[in-house]
Amino acid sequence: MRGFLLNRLSQSLVLLLIVSVIGFVVLNLIPGGPLAQFGLDPSMTQDDLNRLKEQLGLNRPLWMQYLDWAWRLVQGDWGHSFRDGAPVLDVIGRHLVATLLLMGSSTVIAIAVGTWIGIRGATHRYSVFDYLATVGAMVALSIPTFWFGLVGIYVFSLRLGWLPAGNMYTIGDGSVLNHIHHLIMPSIVLALVHVAIWSRYMRTATLDVISQEFVKTARAKGLSERRILMKHVVGNALLPMITLAGMQLPSVLTGALVTETVFTWPGMGRLFLDSLGYSDYPVVMGLLMFSAILVVLCNLIADIVVAIIDPRIRLS
Amino acid sequence: MTKDSTTKSGYSRRDALRLMAAGGIACFAAPNLLGKPAFADTANPTGRVVVGLSQEPTVFHPLMAHIEVDDAVHFSLFDALFRIDPKGVLQPNLAAEVPTQQNGGISEDGLKWRVRLRDDVRWHDGEPFTAEDVKFTLELITNPNFRAWRTGGHSLVRDITVVSPTELTWRMEEAFAPYLSFLTETFMVPKHILEKEADPNAAAFNQAPVGTGAFKWAQRVAGDHLELVANPQYFGDGPYIERLVFKYIPDMTVLYTQFKSGDIDLTDQAYITADHYEEAKTLPGRVVTLVSGASVESIYLNLEKPQFKDPAVRKALYAAMDRKAIIDAIYYGVGTLTETFMPRTSYYYNPNLPAQEFNLDRARQILDEAGWVPGPDGIRAKDGVRLSFANSTTSGNNLREQVQQFLQQTFAEIGVEMTISNLPAAVMFGEFWLKSQFDSAIAGVTHLIAADPDATNRLATSAIAAKGGKGSNVGQYSNPEVDALLKKGAQTFDPEARREIYSRIQEIVREDLPFLPLFAATYVVGRKEGLEGWEPNSNTRTASWHAAGWRWQS
Amino acid sequence: MTAIVANSRQERWWNSRTAHRFMNHHLALLGMVMIAILTLACVLGPYVLPYDSLYIDLRARFAPPFTGHHYMGTDPLGRDLAARLFMAGRVSLLVGFSAMLLSTLIGTLVGVLAGYRGGWIGTTLMRTVDGFLSFPSIFLVLALAAALKPSPMMITVVIAATSWMEVARIVEAEVRSLREREFVQAGRMLGLSGTHIMFREILPNAVGPIIVAATLTVARAILMEAYISFLGYGIQPPLPSWGNMLNGAQQYLGTAPWLAIIPGAAITIAVTSFNFIGDGLRDALDVRGDHS
Repeated sequence: MRGFLLNRLSQSLVLLLIVSVIGFVVLNLIPGGPLAQFGLDPSMTQDDLNRLKEQLGLNRPLWMQYLDWAWRLVQGDWGHSFRDGAPVLDVIGRHLVATLLLMGSSTVIAIAVGTWIGIRGATHRYSVFDYLATVGAMVALSIPTFWFGLVGIYVFSLRLGWLPAGNMYTIGDGSVLNHIHHLIMPSIVLALVHVAIWSRYMRTATLDVISQEFVKTARAKGLSERRILMKHVVGNALLPMITLAGMQLPSVLTGALVTETVFTWPGMGRLFLDSLGYSDYPVVMGLLMFSAILVVLCNLIADIVVAIIDPRIRLS
Repeated sequence: MTKDSTTKSGYSRRDALRLMAAGGIACFAAPNLLGKPAFADTANPTGRVVVGLSQEPTVFHPLMAHIEVDDAVHFSLFDALFRIDPKGVLQPNLAAEVPTQQNGGISEDGLKWRVRLRDDVRWHDGEPFTAEDVKFTLELITNPNFRAWRTGGHSLVRDITVVSPTELTWRMEEAFAPYLSFLTETFMVPKHILEKEADPNAAAFNQAPVGTGAFKWAQRVAGDHLELVANPQYFGDGPYIERLVFKYIPDMTVLYTQFKSGDIDLTDQAYITADHYEEAKTLPGRVVTLVSGASVESIYLNLEKPQFKDPAVRKALYAAMDRKAIIDAIYYGVGTLTETFMPRTSYYYNPNLPAQEFNLDRARQILDEAGWVPGPDGIRAKDGVRLSFANSTTSGNNLREQVQQFLQQTFAEIGVEMTISNLPAAVMFGEFWLKSQFDSAIAGVTHLIAADPDATNRLATSAIAAKGGKGSNVGQYSNPEVDALLKKGAQTFDPEARREIYSRIQEIVREDLPFLPLFAATYVVGRKEGLEGWEPNSNTRTASWHAAGWRWQS
Repeated sequence: MTAIVANSRQERWWNSRTAHRFMNHHLALLGMVMIAILTLACVLGPYVLPYDSLYIDLRARFAPPFTGHHYMGTDPLGRDLAARLFMAGRVSLLVGFSAMLLSTLIGTLVGVLAGYRGGWIGTTLMRTVDGFLSFPSIFLVLALAAALKPSPMMITVVIAATSWMEVARIVEAEVRSLREREFVQAGRMLGLSGTHIMFREILPNAVGPIIVAATLTVARAILMEAYISFLGYGIQPPLPSWGNMLNGAQQYLGTAPWLAIIPGAAITIAVTSFNFIGDGLRDALDVRGDHS
């Protein structure tokens, strides 16, 4: 077990290294740079811009900037935002809650609805419900998220006036109800794709379990269909989903980014786009590393959990 | 060097600044800006105003490099020595009076400055504001380790001497008239807090600023909004509202929707989009005002490109621009025709420039006469140079992209090929713009700094960054006569004399057409009915320049 | 996104049973038909319609659908939306298809190399694949799109550069499992070159999963293009694409909703069709796994 852990851990570190290098290089490939935001300000002369460039350490060779950044990161210093000068972790922390709220609520929706559709589809295989669910899932995977959001805004905000077109809450009204009111549309939009994915996985997983011997035995023993499902199917099927959850994370983050853009949600996706727009390298790199670490952690935990439950996996 | 010209115009007349001020006062009253004795405690501030912004203010240290949107916050939290009112007149703010050559605040050669301060100002934490703070502020800006915003003007200041807590003097390395205007955007920061900080760039102050302004820092929810509260001890008039909230709404449609629904009381930049103007006007309980801005939407030409070196080409392109159709159709009539870079509201605006006329035949004729002959593909050429160029603007800016495509079609009719090559703002305004790597670009360009007419940074030969210059003359415009006039203007303190100089510059620039003006920026500012005391001021970069005077009708 | 573990098969993928199963997959057929119609409309549409997709007429702006001969209305510059939609379809479909070809090529090369060689080459390549996969893909796409001059070619390259990883994973897994099989061992003993074994002996056996992944990549690429262009980083005007037609549509959502609804519907139809086809192919070719 220890060897397995060390192996996985070292692989994860290599992965983070690769992510940071790719991110840093790609980010610096973008022309413009952090000073472009002053490009239209007639009072910022070339001298001023050169001075800022030097103060921000941007006139050094790229490899030196990278090593400096990476060395600080290893020591726990994520750097400071170019924009507001605050420590990167603070900046991320300030936007984390909004994103967690959005991702959390949409994940709850996705898992609840997806699991239900999946199991029902599997137990009522080839029924009309199953067929519709399959088609629906495929269509859901095909709708551009941002467009779905736009249509939602058009219908529910502009036409019907039921739901707000954006923001997390109304200024001066921090009530839970107000938050929920603002949360409905973005979390459904974000959940759509994941309902589709979860339901498909759940269906396959349930089918796998149903066909196994012990379920047949249980059924033969006269246990009710419902109890069999609850006890064996769901329990067993949820296992591979832990792995899925880890791998879903980047796409959930991407989805959150798109959704936050459309609904002006003050979360990490918004922060990411803004920071990219201002070439706020420390924050963008911070967000990349943050999400990469999350992904790696999820995968690691999933690996470990699976390995504990099913020791054969360790060998492969 | 040009000392005789400075002195000649410097003191031979009445102080025209004063003259302008007198004219202004008759129809404009800004009690707190005129240095009236404080009656702050008489008002019991009530209510809350929510201001909508489409970019997020993130820089709260007013001297650090920041962008327009941060101004909205700085103007409410801090004070400067002087402020500029909507008429373009300087008013004392922290200073007891605006120094002039008349009142002896500025020496006749423009080199020695003396500023007297108010004695009744306190920082938000209760400490008194003194000349030491001013000295600290001016020195911080030129501190090489400090990530300062503009250093122009400030870098000329020498020997700052605190004479008394309410008086200080300094010497200028050379006479520089625009400095007076620059000081209206130089907000004073507290020495007693910042001097203790090892790194001024990462001071705690930057996240929780302390000023002298009408509002105090309350809290910030990053990515969403920030909140200021009334400073009851404010030395000037106001504030009348208790809470001032700046709400960040990155999407213009949502910004408008929230204004419509009443979540936002005032739309600051980037204001209401032109296509919503008609509808906004009819909204019950909302007041919509057209405000002229300082920037000019124009086609910037890179004059070093062979296509644009010939003035005939620039004239022909200008004649081929159906500016009226663009304003009326694409911008819904929001936008004012202009022939110059000088904002209409400026004292230095020259109204007598020849008006452009849309005439495709004339455009063709100009090109024919200049020897640009259509080739087999219908595109004109001369001496091996094809009249074809790329036009760039910020991608995703829908209205500008529409203008581009409209112009592309009309330019094709006179045998000119314009291709479109847009870039994200963050890319476009980097080296591509600053180092003149574009052919032509559509942008809203401001030529003035702090409303001073000095456009040296945009128009002087010495300001071509692509050729190692110091400024942002990205069109690479170069005209020796303009250079000389700009130099003279920057060293002249008398507004009337300056007006002559800048009028002439505008004439030459109109003739040379280094850029093709589309229209003068006009903003649609919406506010809730009952919000009183709001006033536009195109000499500042924000609609929230004077929140101290806002109040809710009771 | 997941490694698809395919059942290795000795029989050729185009045998009649496979074709039969595909034809029996109703959704896949529906997808084929829709793509055929869409392609035909995009190819022929611009010739049939009375308006040019680029012709600007400011007097006719914001005409709602079914105004005169503007069956889908007009855009903010008075251009016919139907003409633009079909013109845009050419661009979007072409970009989607080319991106698929390119990314499948890259993915296959990397996958075969990593799977056949194994060892440190394989590990490095696959860790790089993992690295790319742990980014929110939108970051790479936006950053690359901002870094490069936008043109249909560049957008294709950008999308391909960020969507080759799945194919690589699939192929790598497939090749790794095939590597030790008898026919490969035999080839090795016969002294065939590595390249020959990789591409002539092993690869044909992995064709099934590659085709499935490729179909799904088309769908993904169309979505990608739409999103990049929607944000303004993609295909540049006046050339229309489904994505850049949506750019700015948000602004007119209240007054001219058809500007947003029509191109979005076109994207959804195209992407759904490709997903249907991919699903049908997966069933027909008996490839296990899921797309996401």
